[in-house]
Amino acid sequence: MGKRKGNLADLAPSKKEKKGLGQYILGFFLLLYTMFCALPVLLVFIAAFSDETTILQQGFSFFPKKLSLDGVNSVLRYGKQLLTSYGVTIFITVFGTAFGLLVMSMFAYSISRRDFRLAKFLSIYLLIPMLFSGGQLSGYVIFTSYYHLKDSLLLLILPLCVSTMNVIILRTYIANSIPNELMEAAKIDGAGEYRTFFQITLPLLKPSLAAVGFMMATAFWNDWQNALLYITTDSKKPLQLLLVNIQKSIEFLLNNANVPASARAAMGGNIPQYSSTMATVLVVIGPIMVAYPFFQKYFIKGLTVGSVKG
Amino acid sequence: MKNFFANTWKHRAHVVMALPVFLILFFIMYVPMAGLVMAFKNFDYSKGIWGSPWCGIDNFKFLLASKNTFVSMTKNTLMYYVIFTVVGTFLNVVLAISIDQFVFKKAAKVMQTIMIIPVFISYAAVQFIVYAFISTDTGILNNTLGMSTRFYSTASIWPWILTIVKIWNSVGYGSVLYMSVLAGIDTELYEAAQIDGANKWQQIWHITLPSLIPMVTVMLLLSVGGIMRSDTGLFYQVTRNSGVLYSTTQVIDSYVLNAIFKNSNFGFTAATSFFQSIVGLLLMLFANGMVRKVAPDNALF
Repeated sequence: MGKRKGNLADLAPSKKEKKGLGQYILGFFLLLYTMFCALPVLLVFIAAFSDETTILQQGFSFFPKKLSLDGVNSVLRYGKQLLTSYGVTIFITVFGTAFGLLVMSMFAYSISRRDFRLAKFLSIYLLIPMLFSGGQLSGYVIFTSYYHLKDSLLLLILPLCVSTMNVIILRTYIANSIPNELMEAAKIDGAGEYRTFFQITLPLLKPSLAAVGFMMATAFWNDWQNALLYITTDSKKPLQLLLVNIQKSIEFLLNNANVPASARAAMGGNIPQYSSTMATVLVVIGPIMVAYPFFQKYFIKGLTVGSVKG
Repeated sequence: MKNFFANTWKHRAHVVMALPVFLILFFIMYVPMAGLVMAFKNFDYSKGIWGSPWCGIDNFKFLLASKNTFVSMTKNTLMYYVIFTVVGTFLNVVLAISIDQFVFKKAAKVMQTIMIIPVFISYAAVQFIVYAFISTDTGILNNTLGMSTRFYSTASIWPWILTIVKIWNSVGYGSVLYMSVLAGIDTELYEAAQIDGANKWQQIWHITLPSLIPMVTVMLLLSVGGIMRSDTGLFYQVTRNSGVLYSTTQVIDSYVLNAIFKNSNFGFTAATSFFQSIVGLLLMLFANGMVRKVAPDNALF
């Protein structure tokens, strides 16, 4: 990347030797910003293990007077629904990402074939949705009253599994980093089009697939909007919708101080409490935070590649 | 023409491979585009989009007449775009340069990893975290400062809150792109500058900043295309969709979402959507045209 050491480098003090006061001041500010980013996440952790009455009296705090496992335990009270939602989220994330990657890389491969006349039309066809969209309302009406897909998991998968930008990233990678000669050679050796794609192109596409795949997986995992718009049955509710519902029921109880006990009981037996809510948040955001450091290098690469069109 | 069909037949495997994405885009993206005609119709759910009677531009007259809603949400959409873009770009650049200049590389790497994490937390979860900081009775802010501000009913304070949340969410992530540009600067440039007696600030001013300008220009221009769209989660979830705050927090996207849930006022909403899509298209074409002039390699088409 141009970090060559010439003769000049021997004369000038190298970057590494200079650890003056300025560096420590810079480090201090960077640390401050890091804390600004990390502390809110840490608070989720602490609040999840805080005692409920302590939160009510003392407020949320980084140093709660009393810790407790009640919050985490009562998450288990959502028990079955939480497990179901976890299942739904994992299913749409895994299936949506895998399916999206497959169809997008096939499309990217097709439109990057030279001498394929239809490729030009397909590229324009791919680009138009990036410029112009029907908007949320029109999509909602079409999906629900024409396709009759209300409450279908398909609406959690299809709208997110193909994106123009991701296809462009894959196409750029195919065009720039996979030598066309490899594909030609495979064909000369008698491999068909599909075999060439699955056995030569797809394996070589891995770095790009990892980058795009991680970004897609995060989008699937974090999607609350489609779930809120379309999903009504408990057995199909993903995790994010569970969070939205918890918030809505807290709101409802706060705004209706005299909700009869029977109604409260009907809402699941207990008012969602602060500590258990935070424990739920922790359970929802946990997996991504655990997975992210492993994918960091791929996803940074993907981000960088995506900005430069081939 | 005959050649074209022969060519397509020869590439039939590629046609098959392109088909799934073609169909998904058709049903998910293209068909709803046609649904925009709703803006010119008196929409009735029972008659459907095509069956509902035409009403000319009545919906748009309605739009312009309702100053409060339409003007206010368009104003908010633009205001947040400007704030987020100016503050965001500035901080992205500052952070990228800071990390690049920091000589303790291991520490820089760890800190950068932590700074990116917030972007992976959904706004449905973020709103609980924000609540923990600013709720009236249990919030950290009120407790620490001994105040009892009712944040969730004080509209004037929300541009600040949303900006801080947005910075927290996206600056670490946004700076990655600029860092990759900085990593590409030839170190010999700095070394030569040092020999000429340039201090650190002069090096940043004369070498680092100018090398970032092309990328900043491209990113700014591309973002113009998205002026009419907002980060819906930020405005819908983080504000808890509180009606008292709408005067400063309602953007076009969150308005449309609300209208869908309330199942009302379809004409007005359809007109708003139509306006949003058309303006979006024009801005996108403008942005791309500009990028093509400045940096042809980065243009979308």
